[in-house]
Amino acid sequence: MRAKEIGGAAPAAWLAGIGLAVIVVVPFAAVVLQAIFPNLGRGSFAEPFSLLLATLSDIRLVGMAGNTVLLGLAVVAASACLAVPLGMVRALYRVPLAPLWDVLLLVPFMIPPYIATLGWIMTLQPRGYLEQIAGFNLAPILFSLTGMTLVMTFNTFPVVYFAVSRTVEAVGSRYAGVGRVFGASPLRAFFHITLPLSAPGLAASLLLVFAAAIEEYGTPAALGRRAGFEVLVTGIDSRVSDWPIDLPGAAALSLVLVLLSLAAFLVQRWILNRRSYQTVGGKPQAAEKQPLGRLAAPVLAAFAAVSFLATGVPMLAVLATALTRTISGGLRLDNLGGGNFAAVFGGASGALAALGNSLLLGVLTAAVTGVIGAVAAYAVVKTRIRGRTAIDVLTVLPNALPGIVVAVGLILAWNMPALPFTPYNTPLILLFAYCCILLPQTARYATAAFLQIGDNLEAAARVCGASAPTAFRRILLPLIFPSLASAMLLVFALASRELVASVVVAPVGMQTIALFIWRQFEQGSVGLGMAMAFVTIVVTTLLPLAFLALLRRTGLVAA
Amino acid sequence: MLKSLKSVAFGALATILGAGVAHADITVYTAGPQSLIDKLAEGFTAESGIKVNVFQATTGKIMARIEAEAANPVVDVLISASWDTATDFAKRGWLVPYSSPNAEKVPAFLKNDTTVAQGVSALGIAWNTNSGTPKPAEWADLAKPEYKGLVNLPDPAQSGSAFELDAALGAADDYKLFKDLKANDAAIAGANAEALNPVLQGAKAAVFGAVDYITFGSKAKGESIDMIFPASGTVVAPRPAMILNWSKNQDEAKKFVDYMLSDAGQKLVADTFLMPARTDVPAARPLISDLELMDYDTAAIYGKRKEILDEIAKIFAAN
Repeated sequence: MRAKEIGGAAPAAWLAGIGLAVIVVVPFAAVVLQAIFPNLGRGSFAEPFSLLLATLSDIRLVGMAGNTVLLGLAVVAASACLAVPLGMVRALYRVPLAPLWDVLLLVPFMIPPYIATLGWIMTLQPRGYLEQIAGFNLAPILFSLTGMTLVMTFNTFPVVYFAVSRTVEAVGSRYAGVGRVFGASPLRAFFHITLPLSAPGLAASLLLVFAAAIEEYGTPAALGRRAGFEVLVTGIDSRVSDWPIDLPGAAALSLVLVLLSLAAFLVQRWILNRRSYQTVGGKPQAAEKQPLGRLAAPVLAAFAAVSFLATGVPMLAVLATALTRTISGGLRLDNLGGGNFAAVFGGASGALAALGNSLLLGVLTAAVTGVIGAVAAYAVVKTRIRGRTAIDVLTVLPNALPGIVVAVGLILAWNMPALPFTPYNTPLILLFAYCCILLPQTARYATAAFLQIGDNLEAAARVCGASAPTAFRRILLPLIFPSLASAMLLVFALASRELVASVVVAPVGMQTIALFIWRQFEQGSVGLGMAMAFVTIVVTTLLPLAFLALLRRTGLVAA
Repeated sequence: MLKSLKSVAFGALATILGAGVAHADITVYTAGPQSLIDKLAEGFTAESGIKVNVFQATTGKIMARIEAEAANPVVDVLISASWDTATDFAKRGWLVPYSSPNAEKVPAFLKNDTTVAQGVSALGIAWNTNSGTPKPAEWADLAKPEYKGLVNLPDPAQSGSAFELDAALGAADDYKLFKDLKANDAAIAGANAEALNPVLQGAKAAVFGAVDYITFGSKAKGESIDMIFPASGTVVAPRPAMILNWSKNQDEAKKFVDYMLSDAGQKLVADTFLMPARTDVPAARPLISDLELMDYDTAAIYGKRKEILDEIAKIFAAN
């Protein structure tokens, strides 16, 4: 079943190659060169390697790298524990109120991590919202590795939940049913058939969680520093932000981070390449789900509890902060007011322009990463062209590049005086930055989807006379579209609230949602920032849902 | 048909994308409040017809951007939150000498050949009046048992003014005060705004070395917070404005500096609760002449920046 000779390799590979070269290779090469040549920013290649060794031999590096891996693994483990059971149950059983849980578990994607973290801090710290309501606080847990892991898990586990529920649904109970017919117990069928066949989606989502966890800045900076827990990203950020600026050092630390992420990627590839996961063979299958029976109540309770922690707490904290007139006034009736929301909708400090900019950038980023991610995944999975491993690696590389380093790389690359045209200092540079940072999302999901499509479908189309592009467009694309579309919606949400790269690379005079919020926080207007955050979360949740509903009505995506 | 549709779509896209970049005459990078630079730019454009494009971030992020842009810099006027930036840039020969006619009433220590202050902030104790703690009067008060676990310090590695305060106080008693603070469970908590936020909610009672204008702004919004300037002395952080020598619009840049120091410009500075650089512009807050300033050698402490930061980090390292 591994006939890979079919298909229009050349155009797809070229398109993927050019896209990846512009989006990924350019900034990454600039970062590598910066690590080697410390004076690159001034256009000089003098004193190569002079600072690289000093940075890499710094004794603190070992501690930071160790903490980074520890945090990444902890978040992956916690996400898997939380998401795999929920996702499996959601896929195989008729869960009451299932659409509601799906929406509630979608919201954490839309909550920027720095907002969620601040929400948790304002809830759990002494005299926080929890203490104001219930009389006690959980500050000692919050400012620790456990607290960091929990906050980051609640923010990222939906990636795993949706991947598991979708792939298991696609695998269906059909294969497990065959096992049952031949006498396997339900548990045995699950562990030997359903779980292994769902591995591509599960492994891809766990890789994304690991990469997101080691690349995350806001939560470790807010919670970890107080516990003396320094990770690579906070180390990189202080090299970029604290005087004297050390760009070569930041670039070198980023390369360490890239190596960590590549290692995780290779492990994932090794797992996936050992066998075939093709389950979409063109035969019709009934999507039959079983009733929960006596387990209905505990399953409902689990969904409700997880939804409350992942979505309820951060959203309520954001809303409470936005609705209180003064923070020191606390949750008292006479301290409530809609002034902050009025200020946002009244366009205070360019709030509406920032919203418009970010939403447009989000749509464009989703479109670009969708196209490049799909063709790159096709080239990697369905063709045998040379260099497809390189394409695969390039689609995962940005996963490990912290946003701030992508930003520095983009400035270094696109601000060279010799360039006749430069996107730098135009909104295009933000599009480049977001596409680079988020390309792994669409590429990973599309790769996982292609891995599950049998080659005979494309072959059948070709035999019937379809050209390679037609077969791709009419057969393969519709089959991977559900996965790709959800990845693109995720990209839209992530791009419209990206902060870390935007802070450095934003063109003069332009605001985005995240910059607006960040500047409000910096000036002490936490309430106004939170009102903006709440509006953003609602808009970025409702827009994709409306879009999905539209797709369903047109029959492009199964309900 | 399809082709023309495509070109229309492309044209619309280009317009939308282009809309963000007005073709401005000068570019200002500022570490000051966004609202202040917005109003300064608006007033300046109204008066001169010269457009201003603004990039606002923390001093650190601005420096990272200038460093990465070094091969092809675009900034004309830089307003930093740390005087150290001006000293460093002058040493590198990056600054244009300019004395604005409006700088006459700016005291000598807030200007030199290449730099003039936009305004000045001071550090003090930001204290939550509802915290149930006695009102502190001195830095050392915050090491008393009443404030155990209730004090935040801005990170001196992230805040230039906090660094000067910590260095000056540390030199005075060989860091005894900081060891006492650590023993009293005081915590280093991010940059200025991050240190203040928990005090607003009441998780902490006071910030040791809070930036005054942010605190005054919060107080004006009705937060139960007060600003205390210890009588033993504090530090001020003048915000240097400078014109970069690679600027192709130096005349326009000079006009911007003139406007910033004009009556109208300095009033906008005072409205954000910063101290105006000019002594003849009134402000609804204590001015430099009302504050006791600590005596220390700026050049010397910046020369030992790394050692001082390491010393403080060592004291506050988690156990």
